[in-house]
Amino acid sequence: MSQDGQDHQDPQNIAWSIVSYLLSGILVWGGVGWLLDRWIGSSPVFTVIGILGGCGLGIYLGYMRFTRP
Amino acid sequence: MTAIALAAGALPAGTGTHTILAEEFHAPGLGLFEWEPLFNIGPVGVTKPMVLAVVLSGLLIAFFWAAFRRPQIVPRGVQNVGEVGYLFIRDDIARNIIGKKGDQYVPLLFALFFFIWTFNLASVIPIAQFPVTSRFGYPAVLAAIVYVTWVGVGIKAHGLGGFFKAQIPTGLPKAIYPLIIPIEYASNLIVRPFTHSVRLFANMFAGHLLIALFAITAWHFLVEQPTVLGFGVGIIGVLMTIVMTAFELLIQALQAFIFTLLAASYIGSALEEAH
Repeated sequence: MSQDGQDHQDPQNIAWSIVSYLLSGILVWGGVGWLLDRWIGSSPVFTVIGILGGCGLGIYLGYMRFTRP
Repeated sequence: MTAIALAAGALPAGTGTHTILAEEFHAPGLGLFEWEPLFNIGPVGVTKPMVLAVVLSGLLIAFFWAAFRRPQIVPRGVQNVGEVGYLFIRDDIARNIIGKKGDQYVPLLFALFFFIWTFNLASVIPIAQFPVTSRFGYPAVLAAIVYVTWVGVGIKAHGLGGFFKAQIPTGLPKAIYPLIIPIEYASNLIVRPFTHSVRLFANMFAGHLLIALFAITAWHFLVEQPTVLGFGVGIIGVLMTIVMTAFELLIQALQAFIFTLLAASYIGSALEEAH
């Protein structure tokens, strides 16, 4: 991220970056949760936590990246 | 099947649908996109999309060759058209998105835009009538070229470590970084090339399917099995084919533009990130 506030702010790019963050959040932390579940045998507790948490983190990341000055 | 239901819904209530809606109506499906080889070159079966890709690339090269072969200071004819295209890519995409360093990426962006646009246009060119980019291989390779360029430019600009470090957003609470960093990398390195290519592929795929659906509806109800009551459905098919073709013309240019714009945006981010 550049410091001059010009983080390639064209709307197309922002929209797709946020989609990408959401997908990635769900895939990464949902995946980690799924692996934990398989390991501990607690299915589907951690998968659900991972998907929801990943989704939230994706939103947070998109928000922090594109709405701050 | 859905098409039959839709067509039936479009008719006045009470009409015996069985008498007018021929059972043999087959909505187009994936078969539209599967081509038997036209001929073989060694072990490679050459299909229609391949032939289109080669022929259209040839035409495109010939066109711009003609445009810029003997450039005049005051452009005339083809050179005029070529220059408008060039300036559009240079000013509206490269300089606008990447900035001062954008000029050196104009050749790549220029080629991307015009190849994709031409490949998309094949959808509405008579005889061709197939968008080359609706075969996933074509957008996938184009997105891969952009991806490799992005990684290369980033590593060249910041070094290997710097390239990865540059992607981490700054100014967040420290505790959140272990959670955020995997998402950032997964997004940039894995998901992004995928969405970049799928967006183009899916748009062209769906557009072709829609045009084919309406055209086949028109053909079926007006030519193959014309009936008095099916006539209205056939007319809707004809009108929608025309409307969708016009709409597709817009989408084709738009998707080529978006693909190029995002390519520029990725390259720009590789150059500017990290301080």
